[in-house]
Amino acid sequence: MLIYLPIAEVSLNLFVLLALGLGVGFLSGLFGVGGGFLMTPILMFMGVPPAVAVSTQINQIVASSMSGAIAHFRRRSLDIKMGVILIMGGAAGSVAGVQIFALLQATGQIDLVIALCYVGFLGVIGSLMLVESTRAIVRRSRGAAPPRPARRKRTLIDALPFKTRFAVSGLYMSVIPPLALGFLVGVMAALMGVGGGFIAVPAMIYLLRMPTNVVIGTSLFQILFVTALTTVLHAAQNQTVDIVLAAILIVGGVVGAQFGARYGAKVRAEELRAGLALIVVAVCLKLAWDLTAEPADLFVLIELRGLP
Amino acid sequence: MRAGLGAVAVVAAGLAMTGAPARAQAEPAAPEPQIAAALTEDVVEIRSNFSGAELVLYGAAVGLEEGDDIAVVVRGPARDLRVMRRERVLGVWVNADPVRFEEVEGYYAVASTRPLAQFATFSSLRRNRIGMEHVRLSAPESERIETRFGVAGVVVSDIGDAIVDYRAALVRNKAREALYVEAPGGVEILEAGLFRARVVLPPATPTGVYDADVYLFRDGVPIAVRRTSLEVVKGGVERAIYDLAHDRPLAYGLLSVLLAVFAGWLAAFVMRRA
Repeated sequence: MLIYLPIAEVSLNLFVLLALGLGVGFLSGLFGVGGGFLMTPILMFMGVPPAVAVSTQINQIVASSMSGAIAHFRRRSLDIKMGVILIMGGAAGSVAGVQIFALLQATGQIDLVIALCYVGFLGVIGSLMLVESTRAIVRRSRGAAPPRPARRKRTLIDALPFKTRFAVSGLYMSVIPPLALGFLVGVMAALMGVGGGFIAVPAMIYLLRMPTNVVIGTSLFQILFVTALTTVLHAAQNQTVDIVLAAILIVGGVVGAQFGARYGAKVRAEELRAGLALIVVAVCLKLAWDLTAEPADLFVLIELRGLP
Repeated sequence: MRAGLGAVAVVAAGLAMTGAPARAQAEPAAPEPQIAAALTEDVVEIRSNFSGAELVLYGAAVGLEEGDDIAVVVRGPARDLRVMRRERVLGVWVNADPVRFEEVEGYYAVASTRPLAQFATFSSLRRNRIGMEHVRLSAPESERIETRFGVAGVVVSDIGDAIVDYRAALVRNKAREALYVEAPGGVEILEAGLFRARVVLPPATPTGVYDADVYLFRDGVPIAVRRTSLEVVKGGVERAIYDLAHDRPLAYGLLSVLLAVFAGWLAAFVMRRA
């Protein structure tokens, strides 16, 4: 059954969209990721204009991060002070990202930049995860003990000024790294339609050295506010949020995430990570292929809707 | 079907009225050729289940003779658009060399009794912009007007012959989405000057006002023209959503966020109960 999306101005099959929402929701519940990095490219493959795909997917992430953040709020497994600083950086990044987005759209390069960003990020993250999880699986099969974490060394981060105490995380560090991390994630949210958890979570663990039990909750807390702001900014500046498409994706995503989370409890963590890494690499390869393969038509039409 | 019959009836009535005075004035001469035309619908609403629409244009040609031909051209709302060439840079295809075309028709369909070239001269097709190779495609930013070989007012493109590729690419891309269509044989002559043409609007149909022009051709040139119009509008909830998003974007954005926050909260609530 075709459904007309009023902002995207295309008709897509309702059941295909619901199934996609379910599938990506399942994966996000299974792996504990937002799923934006999968859904945004898929929407673009289906013919949704990139601008609409990015801003609508960001709206969907508001819903998924909300339900996740509530759970962590109840368990108090988040560092609110760290979260607020990340959000401040993220707000600035989101504002900058939306401006960059509008500029790229005006020059006809938005598709290219989005695709390049995806190939770069997914390629790096996917291969790192793949290597790490394969090592973990091999190690377990040999019955070896996990390597002892290296002793914490003094890094550049410790030398930065504006230090403050983060009681929940048990850290005393400069506010500059979390502000910068928040900014990067904000730009990515506005530009790529992703929550940015797949960057923020490893960065919080390995760079900021936050305890793992508060990382996910803090990340969700930050994602919730930054994606909410990004949705409003995209809607206000570019009028590209499709509320009908968002509602369909939210329904599919919320239901799928429940199944994913239940199923995920039965599977081992290393296999899960390896599976996610394979999916990430596959999406990356598909995007890279589209960038380099000879296009069917050597010319492209760009509608100047709402552009100068 | 009922709407179609109604349109025929109206057309026939109009025909009787316009035909009568002409006959009374000049008895021996053939009546002045005239066309009456009507569409089965003059407003097409895009609703949530819109997957394209099919209309029928009914008409009557007064003074239609053996060997005359009819062409129907439907032109959609004009918008500016940009055509870019895809170029390989470091192995990656990037968009380059934009050419901005102004006032390009978002929809263009030609239906005729026979292939256009068989009954119309090139110049009459060009002048009336009938046929896919005669669609108005002007790129004023890349053009200048010069005097060449003593001829004033010659339009010269800054990018030379390449403009031909851009024009062809524009038409080809629109045709792929069924937005530009040519249907030789798409006009069916029924009897006594009555004719019928199908107009197919694809799912990607842009909203706005459409003009449907009916041309009666004799000896290679149009001898009568008749214009009717139709409007494609978003209907129902879709229209309300679109209007809100464009008229009150901030409120729309906040509404979207609230909806998502509520959905997320509901999910967490249900999850805890289960």
